[in-house]
Amino acid sequence: MLSVSGLAGPLGRAALLVGLIGAFFGMFAAAVGTRQQDEKVLKLVPRFATLSCVAAFLAFVAMEWAMITRDFSLAYIQKVGSRSTPALYNFTAVWSALEGSILLWLLVLTCLTLAIAYKYRARINDPMVGWAMATMFFVGIFFFILTLGPANPFGAGAPGVFDGPGPNPLLQNHILVVFHPPILYLGYVGMTVPFAFAIGALITGRVGEGWLIETRRWALFSWGLLTFGIILGSWWSYEVLGWSGVWAWDPVENASFIPWLTATAYIHSVLVQERRGMLRVWNLSLLVSTFSLTILGTFLTRSGVLNSVHAFSDSNIGPYLLSFFAIIVVVSVVLIGWRGDKLHAPGTIDSPLSREGAFLANNVIFSVFAFVVLLGTVFPLVVEAIQNRQLVVGEPFFDKLAVPTGLTLLFLMCIAPVLPWRKASSELLSERLFWPAWCGIAALVFSLLVGATGFAPLLTFTLGGFAGGAALRQLVLATRRQGLRGLVGRANGGMVVHIGVILIAVALAASNSYTRSQELSLKQGVVAQFAGHTFELTGFTEMSDARRTSISAVIRVDGGKSYAPAISKFKSMGTNIGTPSVKSSLTKDIYLTVEPPLKMSSKSAKIKVFIKPMVMWLWIGGFLMGFGTLLSAFPGRRRRPTDPTSARVPEYS
Amino acid sequence: MMKKLKSWPVWMLMGLLVVALLTVGTTRDSGPLTQSDRIDAITKRIACPTCDGESVFVSRATAAESIRNQVARDVAAGTMSDNQIIGSIADTFQGKILLVPRATGVDSLVWILPIAVLVCAVAGLFVAFRRWKRNNSGDATAEDIALVKRLLGEDPTDEENV
Repeated sequence: MLSVSGLAGPLGRAALLVGLIGAFFGMFAAAVGTRQQDEKVLKLVPRFATLSCVAAFLAFVAMEWAMITRDFSLAYIQKVGSRSTPALYNFTAVWSALEGSILLWLLVLTCLTLAIAYKYRARINDPMVGWAMATMFFVGIFFFILTLGPANPFGAGAPGVFDGPGPNPLLQNHILVVFHPPILYLGYVGMTVPFAFAIGALITGRVGEGWLIETRRWALFSWGLLTFGIILGSWWSYEVLGWSGVWAWDPVENASFIPWLTATAYIHSVLVQERRGMLRVWNLSLLVSTFSLTILGTFLTRSGVLNSVHAFSDSNIGPYLLSFFAIIVVVSVVLIGWRGDKLHAPGTIDSPLSREGAFLANNVIFSVFAFVVLLGTVFPLVVEAIQNRQLVVGEPFFDKLAVPTGLTLLFLMCIAPVLPWRKASSELLSERLFWPAWCGIAALVFSLLVGATGFAPLLTFTLGGFAGGAALRQLVLATRRQGLRGLVGRANGGMVVHIGVILIAVALAASNSYTRSQELSLKQGVVAQFAGHTFELTGFTEMSDARRTSISAVIRVDGGKSYAPAISKFKSMGTNIGTPSVKSSLTKDIYLTVEPPLKMSSKSAKIKVFIKPMVMWLWIGGFLMGFGTLLSAFPGRRRRPTDPTSARVPEYS
Repeated sequence: MMKKLKSWPVWMLMGLLVVALLTVGTTRDSGPLTQSDRIDAITKRIACPTCDGESVFVSRATAAESIRNQVARDVAAGTMSDNQIIGSIADTFQGKILLVPRATGVDSLVWILPIAVLVCAVAGLFVAFRRWKRNNSGDATAEDIALVKRLLGEDPTDEENV
């Protein structure tokens, strides 16, 4: 007879099988019902969406149940479960390795499919909605197959195992493990919705602007969640890893950043299509790229072909993901080719010096940036394939190319917000850019006064001031006229996002350029100094439980509050894991790490101090980006829908 | 008065001011780096030989620790430049630990391809604008002109009309 905990495996497997059947019939109902315009069949679509979502939810609950009850009959629990893991990290351990993370992906995807099915249930006989639903189910089928095949979290484990190592120690010492992966997945998987509608539009031939309007909020929210997920990941890295950085251009970080870049290009260029009816092929290509890059990124980081501190162990999931990626690309390209005649845009862009011209330039930069990051990420694979030798492409390479790219994007952020649609005259530009340009000069002067040096950081501060001025100008004009309502809508909410991006750029330039570090050998009772701060070792604290032993060095900073960087030894892993301690303020962070070995009986400790300016502004900028995205989701003032969008502007003298 | 302020000579002066200030900021002394700063800068460019793509700066692995100590000794000795220190360590590991690919052979592709793609993209944009300009020689209709006048008369802060 099966124990209660032993039920999780069979229940989970059964739920996944039911979910797969539900998704299969859902796709069949959506496709056949749409093709034959059979309303009875189409009415089944929301029911199948419910079935597959409930099944995925049950499978997820079964996995959580197995984790909570420490059901070591499952191979996955043997891999990431442990009797000594605290309840919170035991709960999050479900997504701490390949199989569980794919299960989380599946849960988010089926929830989105259900949300779409119910939102559009009254219009389910609209062929575009029908084909979009069929696409959502198709993607769902693929992920159900993964969880039943190469990424099965309910596989039986070896007999006689009664405990496990628990999740990676880095995944059990910060609260952000609860938020970062699910939010990132919401953004990642959310991109499936606009992709599905794009496929629906291509199949039905309704490639005008209707599908864009249907999906713009989905695309915006997915982008916002992806942004927020990436920012949370950076914060986590900063607080946990102990090397004082927020971004290491690790392949897994890149795997989320590349689709973010193409999605960012999309949410800008989509405005040109909505307004002018242009760039249809380009927008479809960006959506297809964004979605397919999420799959390619998953392949690169989950199949074991690339090494990364984040990457999960080798598995045979690679060929599945690569095949799915190929199917998406081939089907999308064939559909775009098939609808080529309908995708021809009627309008023209009158001048490069226009809002749409700036969006195009923005798209070129974002796309080239995405290509650079993808190239740097996969280049070691290319070299290994050609020359059978190993190569590492790391942070300095990406930094070298990211700095000029970022500066170019900042420059565009100075100009674009003040550009009108169609064409700008030099007088108009001079009028609108005057005060923003002075903001840039003021930022430069202020930077010099506080001692900033170096061309790239100073140019960043100047352009940051300029771009901030341009964004603020737009917001001031809008709020003067409309009050607080002037903060909402895509253009004005977008300006709040721009201010967030500017703060992040300035904070990154400052923290990367002016970080100072020093190793200090501290003796108890002796005050050491570095960069105008004092550090005094006042003692040690030890904490030990079944999972780990931690020793912290208690250090009083500037004669005030004490901070306690620690070294932990996880019993399952055996190696030392450092945990930094950070004194944060608006102007700078004092980031402390302690070097092993550390002994309670010792009267001294070797610490490393990093003085990092403006790090707090990274998180404030991230918050503003999220807030701005929310503001963008509310409707702003609209032009009259009867106004034509493609009439040419005549020359006025 | 304001119109004069926004004339092109003022913009030229602003441009010159920015260039002058940037030159001052770029050329002035940023103060001495600590040995630790220099060690950090060097170890950020070296890959940990036993890790999964991490730099020696980031990694806490034993091999990374050993290289960090080697770099610290070289920096303390004060006889080699940053590139010489990195070169000597790269020679020991036969180049496998450089985080920046060399600009020779197959490795150079990682530098050439981004530039090639950027040039192609900018050229494509240039061609597209030329074609749009060529296709855009028709005169505006009375309806177009009326529309533009109406739009120009609208609230400039309207998000769809800015």
